Amino acid sequence: MKYYDAIVIGGGLQGTSTAYFLAKKGLRVALLERDDIASGTASHTDGATLISDKQPGIDVLQGYHSVELYRKLVKEFSYDIEFESCGFMYVCETDQEMEAAADYAAKVSAQGFDMRVIDQKEMCERERYLAKDLKGGLWTESDGLVNPYKVCLGFVEEGRKYGLDVYTHHEVTGIRLNKKNQVEAVITDRETFLTDKVVNACGVWAPAIGNMVGLDIPIEPRKGILLVTEKSETIAHTEVLEFGYWLAKFFADFKRPVSELVERHNVCLNIETTHSGNTIVGGCRLFRGYDIKVEYEIMQAIAERAIRFFPILKDMNCIRSFGGIRPFCLDHLPIVSGVEEVPGFYIAAGHEGDGVALAPITGLLISQMITGEKTEFDATELAWSRFKNVDRKKLAAHGN
Amino acid sequence: MDSKFDDDMLVCRCEEVTVGEIKEAIAQGARDVVGVKRRTRAGMGLCQGRTCEKMVQQILCQELGISPEEAGCSSIRPPARPITFGTLAGGMKE
Ligand SMILES: Cc1cc2nc3c(=O)[nH]c(=O)nc-3n(C[C@H](O)[C@H](O)[C@H](O)COP(=O)(O)OP(=O)(O)OC[C@H]3O[C@@H](n4cnc5c(N)ncnc54)[C@H](O)[C@@H]3O)c2cc1C
Repeated sequence: MKYYDAIVIGGGLQGTSTAYFLAKKGLRVALLERDDIASGTASHTDGATLISDKQPGIDVLQGYHSVELYRKLVKEFSYDIEFESCGFMYVCETDQEMEAAADYAAKVSAQGFDMRVIDQKEMCERERYLAKDLKGGLWTESDGLVNPYKVCLGFVEEGRKYGLDVYTHHEVTGIRLNKKNQVEAVITDRETFLTDKVVNACGVWAPAIGNMVGLDIPIEPRKGILLVTEKSETIAHTEVLEFGYWLAKFFADFKRPVSELVERHNVCLNIETTHSGNTIVGGCRLFRGYDIKVEYEIMQAIAERAIRFFPILKDMNCIRSFGGIRPFCLDHLPIVSGVEEVPGFYIAAGHEGDGVALAPITGLLISQMITGEKTEFDATELAWSRFKNVDRKKLAAHGN
Repeated sequence: MDSKFDDDMLVCRCEEVTVGEIKEAIAQGARDVVGVKRRTRAGMGLCQGRTCEKMVQQILCQELGISPEEAGCSSIRPPARPITFGTLAGGMKE
């Protein structure tokens, strides 16, 4: 039987990043993925790498560290992950949104990060196709974009240079613990691997892996749908979100002046033009189980909302749509942590709508926890122990 | 092995992907049509693989010695053919 210093389960964003950083530190590492690399949420997502779109505090802090890491990684990688530092814009439709946005920006800047209010004029200079009747917005210069599945393939290819072993089409079916409840082996549908350190990086499927060692991991799938345009000139020069997207993420009862259709499906604009010249337009946040089917009505609502902000889209073609599921964690923070009651078991999951942005920092933190180094910053707030002896219902903050 | 596919031959015209690039993707671990698509963009263009999917399948079968069923096909997602955002927003089905 093969022995590894550490085994990472899940070939998505968190798993490939974790495997890469562990291999780089000189450990003998295996990455196990039940399908192909990036076949989970990693290939059903946008690619925004933001410090924005997070809550002030540890959430913004980890976003900052992760975006900076992306900047370093692209210099080291020979594999192109299509990183672009294009900046990020929130756009506000009403004065009420503008007020909430200014308050949010003040909190983020107070933390020392760059996010500022911009007026309608600056907004339209940066985005020439934006509707002219908006109130203004927020601007974060350091934010950007990557190609999410290329990030996974990049971590794998670069990790292999440090000796990383990759086993695709290996589904983990069990984890063996010894009498002291410590990790001893990982069992797949094809082989058993010996190890005393295992990382659960299975995104929305992390609860099933948790069950294998008796843990109840509070992650649920939160669905999104995206539309893809034909190739064209650049429609969005930066990454753009309506500020209502942020409000809708954290405040379930927030109301916007929108049609019944848009309201019912919780549709908020997000838009980016990718490296390939296609523009990706979204989106929505819905609890619909593991189903990623695209509902026609939601496509309709997204198109309506998109034209509201980018009228030019009206005559452009949609060539494809797809759905994806975000690993939503009960209190909106990912779990990046060891598990005291199961020594050798680590969790790197629950990143909801930020798992692309946060992949580098998550991988680095877990690798530091496993080797026993000091972590990049104090990550106590991301610890598994936050769910111990608390009423989970009270932690829950979810709406639609 | 005698190959009927020349490396320079264009497979996906929309995204300009050659046989050589598809073989490279297979060497990197792609095992089916979707795996090739993610690594090369073959099938991601305007025609959504309607023209090239069969050929990508054949290259996979030849390189990996698998059946067309195993090489699979791309997942079908709406719209069935390009449709403008305006038409979509108006609630008209293609
Ligand atoms: C529509 C949409 C838009 C988004 N936009 C953004 C964005 O702009 N920016 C951003 O930062 N984030 C965004 N996100 C969120 C981001 O995509 C996720 O947070 C991220 O993909 C989660 O990464 P992960 O590695 O945890 O999960 P995944 O990428 O899903 O990886 C988990 C992997 O585990 C594998 N697996 C599961 N079970 C097993 C098993 N038993 N054995 C072996 N392998 C197994 C799966 O096959 C999968 O490959 C978006 C998400 C959606 C749905």
